[in-house]
Amino acid sequence: MLLQANETFWLWQLFGRLHPLFVHFPIGLLCVVLLLEILDWRGKSGRLRDGIRILVWVGAGSSVLAVIFGWLLAGEGEYSGDSLEIHRWAGIATMVLSIITAFSLRTNLFGIYRSLLFLTVFGVSFAGHYGAMLTHGDDYISSVLPSSQKYLAATTEVDFVANNSGPMSEQQIQDLNVQVRTILAHNCYSCHGEGKSKGDLRLDSRDGIMKGGENGFVVVKGHPEQSELIRRVSLPKSDKEAMPTKGKRLTEQEIKVLQYWIEKGAVWPEGKEKSIYRVAALEPRMPQVPVPTGDLVKPVDLFVNAYFVKNKIGWKPVVDDRIYIRRVYLDIIGLPPPPEKVEAFVADTRPDKRETLAKELLNRNDDYAQHWMSFWNDALRNDYSGTGYITGGRFDITKWLYRSLQVNKPYNWFVKELISPNKESEGFIKGIKWRGTINSSQRTEMQAAQNVSQVLLGLNLKCASCHDSFISDWKLEDSYAFANIFADTLLEINRCDKPTGKIAGTRILFPELGEISVNESTEKRLRQLADFLVQPKDGRLYRTVTNRIWAQLMGRGIVEPVDMMDNMPWSEDLLDWLASDFAANGYDIKKLIYTIVTSKTYQLPSTSVKEAGDIMANEYKFTGMVRRRLTAEQFTDAISFAFNPMYADTAIVTDLLPKDIKKKLPFPRAGFVKNDPFLTSLGRPNRETVSTSRTSQANLLQALELTNGNKFTETLKTGSKQWREKYPTSELLVTELYRKSLGRTPLPKEIAVAKKMLGPVPSEEGIQDLMWAIALIPEFQLIY
Amino acid sequence: MNTNWNRREFLQRASAATMAALAAGAPVSGLLSGCKRFSGPDSTADTVILLWMAGGMAHTETFDPKRYTPFEKDMEGNRVLSTFKSMPTILDGIHFSDGLQSIGKVMDKGTLIRSYVAADMGHILHSRHQYHWHTCYEPPQTVAAPHIGSWIAKELGPKNPVIPAFVDIGQRFTVGEAEELKAFHTAGFLGNEFGPFFIPDPSQGLDSVRPPVGMDAKRFERRNQLYNELVNNSPIGEFGSDYQRESLKRSMEQAYALLNSPESKAFDLSSEPKESYQIYNTGKFGLGCLLARRLTEQGARFISVTTEYEPFKGWDTHENGYTRLIEMKKQIDGPIAQLVKDLDQKGLLDRTMIVLASEFSRDMMVEGKPDAKVLEQVNQPDILSDLKFYGMHRHFTDAGSMLLFGGGIKKGFVYGKTADERPCKTIENPIKIDQVHQTIYHALGITGDTHYEVEKRPFYTTPDGKGLPVMDLLA
Repeated sequence: MLLQANETFWLWQLFGRLHPLFVHFPIGLLCVVLLLEILDWRGKSGRLRDGIRILVWVGAGSSVLAVIFGWLLAGEGEYSGDSLEIHRWAGIATMVLSIITAFSLRTNLFGIYRSLLFLTVFGVSFAGHYGAMLTHGDDYISSVLPSSQKYLAATTEVDFVANNSGPMSEQQIQDLNVQVRTILAHNCYSCHGEGKSKGDLRLDSRDGIMKGGENGFVVVKGHPEQSELIRRVSLPKSDKEAMPTKGKRLTEQEIKVLQYWIEKGAVWPEGKEKSIYRVAALEPRMPQVPVPTGDLVKPVDLFVNAYFVKNKIGWKPVVDDRIYIRRVYLDIIGLPPPPEKVEAFVADTRPDKRETLAKELLNRNDDYAQHWMSFWNDALRNDYSGTGYITGGRFDITKWLYRSLQVNKPYNWFVKELISPNKESEGFIKGIKWRGTINSSQRTEMQAAQNVSQVLLGLNLKCASCHDSFISDWKLEDSYAFANIFADTLLEINRCDKPTGKIAGTRILFPELGEISVNESTEKRLRQLADFLVQPKDGRLYRTVTNRIWAQLMGRGIVEPVDMMDNMPWSEDLLDWLASDFAANGYDIKKLIYTIVTSKTYQLPSTSVKEAGDIMANEYKFTGMVRRRLTAEQFTDAISFAFNPMYADTAIVTDLLPKDIKKKLPFPRAGFVKNDPFLTSLGRPNRETVSTSRTSQANLLQALELTNGNKFTETLKTGSKQWREKYPTSELLVTELYRKSLGRTPLPKEIAVAKKMLGPVPSEEGIQDLMWAIALIPEFQLIY
Repeated sequence: MNTNWNRREFLQRASAATMAALAAGAPVSGLLSGCKRFSGPDSTADTVILLWMAGGMAHTETFDPKRYTPFEKDMEGNRVLSTFKSMPTILDGIHFSDGLQSIGKVMDKGTLIRSYVAADMGHILHSRHQYHWHTCYEPPQTVAAPHIGSWIAKELGPKNPVIPAFVDIGQRFTVGEAEELKAFHTAGFLGNEFGPFFIPDPSQGLDSVRPPVGMDAKRFERRNQLYNELVNNSPIGEFGSDYQRESLKRSMEQAYALLNSPESKAFDLSSEPKESYQIYNTGKFGLGCLLARRLTEQGARFISVTTEYEPFKGWDTHENGYTRLIEMKKQIDGPIAQLVKDLDQKGLLDRTMIVLASEFSRDMMVEGKPDAKVLEQVNQPDILSDLKFYGMHRHFTDAGSMLLFGGGIKKGFVYGKTADERPCKTIENPIKIDQVHQTIYHALGITGDTHYEVEKRPFYTTPDGKGLPVMDLLA
């Protein structure tokens, strides 16, 4: 399917590309001739004559060259369409005209010569216009006219518009104002903004909207029904006073938002516009640790205590040993604890046994790497199969990632190697390249900009890679300037996939981190970028990763969503302290995990919410770890561990992994096989895009896969044979199954239920069904 | 909630509405907010069946035939516009390529579009155009774009709660370009509960919706009972209710209900009367049509039946186009015509829209578009020294045929036109993918500006919410 293009001889290509340069000679020269001719209208043989003659000849000559070069350029096939054909033939016609004009100048038929000259200049302009359209796009000129402004419509609902009648919080006031500005930006700014202020009205600033227009006020605070703004946008389209006059009408919801905003006093925060988005501080901050109180001594607990006191939340007793050991096992190495370890742990009387256990698990370098691999694979969009590989448009970083986790590479080095990569780690910033032409906001350099900023800095550059963002202060130019750091040649800025002819600089998103040397090679620029980003003063980098690790262990970040680090943390002090402590400890992720899992906070009983969305709500109050569903890999590994391996050795992607991987794996772990329908149904993402959280919500397709899917059924079937041979009586079997899968002995009533089903001597079918039932109960599927 | 109900009780107690709500699930996450509108009184369709001609179906060889030039050794390829004769259809003056006479006879029940224009995405990769057709977005995207079936599943939910809202029949993911195929057979950011329910082989459809192989109904019920008892006795019940636990239990109840429901018999093609089965039995695609019909009778929402994409197979004719198409037409002609007739006879065609489409068309000479030719990929000589070069082997994106039946679509109508000489490109009423999607959404009552906010950005069913339904297609 892959065939080569017929490459054009390089010299013709070079000449072709000189066309845009050369066309300016005939354009410039012939226009000047006309100008001089007009200046010298009377003096047909005056002092300018000689100059004019030379100019006409040089103009005509250069037009011949321009045409030849243009023809070569068109042959390259990059351009096509009606515009090209018009440009081509207009150009040739103009060339012929200019030659005739030059010759006509030799006769003394001035009337004819001058008419020809007019025609030639017209031809030059006409052909030039089409040439410009080819280079800059059809609407290069018309697109800046207000009538053709097409914003990305972003109608967003404001829930509290419908159900909030009380006073609004600071956050809500801000949100509402952003909503309002978004609506105005999409629908009104094109005529009432910076470019134009029709009716002397501007709606793009606080002063403008309050001042009103030539017909007076448009907003009457507290009274939407008296506000001209609302009246105009609510009029039927046919009414000649209806607004907007062009483009889409406002939706009912949008009008409702505007009404509500006016009703609530039309608040538009003062000061710089920037102030309406919360922007997290870039610098690190080491807050004062509160003084120890009672049995609380660890900084994490002391900060949480301060938060609890403020929010009138009481401390609950910590969870028992069985729950704790299952949690840390699953959180650190991704496997359930073996029954003998559970019993030994419960029997252990040392006061620091939990700390010891955490240390022990963190020291199991391979098990740790094998579990955290999946988390980083998601975040770094690394997979063993997927789009792009087929045409060599994608590179995996598996080996590098495994080794980095195995040796617990300090996070600053980890980041450095991702951004300023070696062959093994370059996959992250190289992105995914599909065959063919792609949207300019998805070129690989832009993917790098988006992914680096999302994953490492917790900010969203996706909006701003197509147009100035409506949800943050990031501008199109910022994105391009950032992307240029990754680009071998500077990128032309495209707005909504239309070239603008502009080139952004080369700039890091936070200029205070340092200045990128524009003229250096890409390699050097990336090294600079890496150095700048990992500086201690880039608190944002470390807050982002700290928050991600916290979210993995606690079921919810201190900031959510974890990719929006400008959002308000539920405890700024806690986040800032953790990030600073992380930096002070040499960017050691394992140490960070240790700090968290040995805190009393982590050991609080798990909590949950009624609806999945509540976890993300602004009003969320932290009271303890949020219960989580096992990830696809944890669940599969737990099945493999407890009952029977789900995957064969041959399923492991050995080629992509370090050579000795088979020796390091306790069994073929699900994080090291290619994605398949079973894992997909359990929530393993396809890693076509960066993915930084997995849902805890179960669904029908998943349940079907578990209920009658072949893979699962066969695994349990094979497993039941082995278990039957090992455990001849039902009582023994049930006890062992419970110990192995849930880390506890069954309760009498559980034994009774199981025995009722199995009978005194278990059959293979009975064992298979019992394993199935155990695997599906929430106790098995959740980290609680 | 007492979870010990048997299936019958469960279905009796849970009204259709509750079940639909259950199946639709709570929002995937708090990040996802947006506007949601249900199929309103204005909708003209409840169900969509997509008949996917995977690999690029040449319009000039199927529903838009041009001058026929029989094969002669060493003929000039440029002379050949169609390798089949044109045959009349039931519509005056409208001809189909030879081999599609059965479909020709039911064209009084639907609309023929001759002017589908695929996107210009440079060097051809089938799966990229297929991604574009199914999601309306060109890959790659910064956000995982949902399949049209997932949008419909999300907006309307299942029609019958025990039939998954989005069923995908006939595609295996073990073929070349499988990863690219997977990239759009997904609910994307909507969450995998709205993803496709795969039935790669329609004759094995029942296996997906019955108890595991080798497990009889009695054992299946006992197993489920055991599960329920263990859930109720598990000490973590002490922790009170939460959404993870609830959604786990709820999804298990649903799965059990589905696997035990009388509707699941619809997946069993062996219970189809023999005579009817034979008409459909032209291979996997034909049986897929039969399964689609049976599911539609039981209340399916969105079904995709594909001729299956595999590089260089099926419609992806890089050589032997003529002989291959004889086979392809045999596969599709009878079953598609029968599907239309059956649904019509059962009174279901009024609210079921059948859409036949392909990612682009093919031509013997032009790769890409006439004015935007792209990198050559097919070894097609100008002089046809062998029959294997006789056929439409290059990828052509400037025209394409589609068929639409039912669900509010005009009857006996033809839309768009292509040139009668090479390049046989669209010359009237070009229609693009966002218009196709919006027309389908419109018929289903899903408004054009339907969108969700993901990562704070609005993500619409069609890019930027643009693209209007083609009202001319609707009765």
